Amino acid sequence: MMKKELGLFLLLAVISAITGAINPAFLSFVNLLNMANLIGLFGVFALGEGLVIITGGIDLSLGSMFALLGVVFIDLLTTYQVPWPFALLLVLMGGLALGGIQGFLITRLKMQPFIVTLCGLLIYRGAARYYTSDSTRGFGYGDEANTLSNIASGNVAGIPNTFIFLIILAVILGVLLHRSVYGRWLYAVGKNEEAARFSGIRTNLVIATAYVISGGLAGVSTVLFVFYTNSVSPSSFGNFYELYAIAAAVLGGCSLRGGEGSILGIVLGTALLQVLQNLVNILGIPNSLNFAVMGTVILIGVLADQQLQARRRRKAALAGLARTAPKSKENTRLQNASPHGAAALPTTTGDQA
Amino acid sequence: MVTPHDAGLAVLELKGIGKEFGAIRALHGVDLRVSPGEVVGLMGDNGAGKSTLVKIIAGNFPPTHGEMRFDGKPVHFARPIDARAVGIEVVYQDLALADNLTAAANVFLGRELKRKLGPFALLDHKAMAARALELFGELRSETRPHDLVKQMSGGQRQAVAIARTRLSNAKLVMMDEPTAAISVRQVEQVLSLIHRLKEQGVAVMLISHRMPDVFAVCDRVVVMRRGEKRADKAIGDTSPEEVTSLITGAKEAA
Repeated sequence: MMKKELGLFLLLAVISAITGAINPAFLSFVNLLNMANLIGLFGVFALGEGLVIITGGIDLSLGSMFALLGVVFIDLLTTYQVPWPFALLLVLMGGLALGGIQGFLITRLKMQPFIVTLCGLLIYRGAARYYTSDSTRGFGYGDEANTLSNIASGNVAGIPNTFIFLIILAVILGVLLHRSVYGRWLYAVGKNEEAARFSGIRTNLVIATAYVISGGLAGVSTVLFVFYTNSVSPSSFGNFYELYAIAAAVLGGCSLRGGEGSILGIVLGTALLQVLQNLVNILGIPNSLNFAVMGTVILIGVLADQQLQARRRRKAALAGLARTAPKSKENTRLQNASPHGAAALPTTTGDQA
Repeated sequence: MVTPHDAGLAVLELKGIGKEFGAIRALHGVDLRVSPGEVVGLMGDNGAGKSTLVKIIAGNFPPTHGEMRFDGKPVHFARPIDARAVGIEVVYQDLALADNLTAAANVFLGRELKRKLGPFALLDHKAMAARALELFGELRSETRPHDLVKQMSGGQRQAVAIARTRLSNAKLVMMDEPTAAISVRQVEQVLSLIHRLKEQGVAVMLISHRMPDVFAVCDRVVVMRRGEKRADKAIGDTSPEEVTSLITGAKEAA
């Protein structure tokens, strides 16, 4: 379990070292803090996406949620002069509510997560653009939310608050996922929902909660992004951000088939993505290649991980073979045949004699 | 010879159980007694009513007619949880295990042991691993609590599934085709697991298509056909040939 995270960390360190050797500016204090800020911004909602992916679902609606919640948030503060604590609360509740609706549709009405959240992506984006008549919303010259702005985009001893938020949330969710009963159920539901149900777990509740958490974290991210950009243009704010989150989660070891992944992995995945973006700039690679670099690294990363896992499984199977004489020949064969086939393992090894 | 079936208290007693789905009569007038420590083989062709009967006993749905007594008391199950609460466990054909978790995690799935840490309840990994090891020991299985289920053989998976039932001290364990999807060698392991359950006074209902297994391990065989019980005989009083003809309908009843 930890091997994957260690590998990811080493990859991150090696890439950073090479980039730093080519251009020392990469390791400059300013650049590191800038990256920390971006990692914080993109990490918060990647954590939520990761939980959803562990249930075997997906949340495609995050970027559009940012746009909708973002324009509402700014409108509350500027047009309606709502005190910032209430505006903050409303946006967080809004995120939780949207997540709740998606969770309801997926678990109660048995719709597929991809479809529900894809429709969410379209609907929220459309609503945001309609609500603002497609015009950019921003803060005036007043100090509508100076305090909140300082909290969201400030720093403590130079360390960006966004990064600190990410660490705090990661620790909380880490305990939730890896040490609590809920986390154990999340993994079980993600791998074998039927088994979890037969074990007396209320699987619908467990899955819906993951979407609610993801929605809530989207609310937090909205506020952070709004104070990062200081304005929201409804047609482009948060575009494709859900894909960053999915990429970070997958890079961090989450399987889209569900039941696999860790909080540390998701954080490292986010960090790696941001380092890659930064490296494109720092090394003078044409900016247009940004996405191509990211895509290539994810592809190679996931491929390498699969190959390594297959090798480990072969080794483990061989060790098992040596330990307990002649059995599980079929197992070894099956495992060799399907490097990514953890899902397709032994229950089917049988003869029906 | 007095079989446990005639003597003493029955753990499970069914009287005139029937089930209709709309106009379809899936089950009709089934009487059945199962005693503690008795292994009963439940056989029948597909659609004979075996699964319906098992699902009624497991509380998946209530019977339309008839009465069910468990441990001498009348019971009515609204949900599977109710059946588990009195001590009925089912080991499903697909084993209902989560591949990505360890053996211990699967044994305790849905019934995790927790330790309090202030207001939070965290998983107690140590206690669960220790108890799981004990249970595997009782079943004389070499399964190790920290191994992932996806790396296990079919026999070990069965051990995990059966350890689950021991955890709750079930009085009746129903096993749905436990030997259908595993290799010949592992079938022996599973049959020995059933013996362990029997030793500990647990009643077992074995639903199986495999005649040799039923005759190897069961005290009694019950044959279902077209929603009715056609035979209920001690294993010594019958033969695979007779059971086959009862299943296919070549012989109406015995």
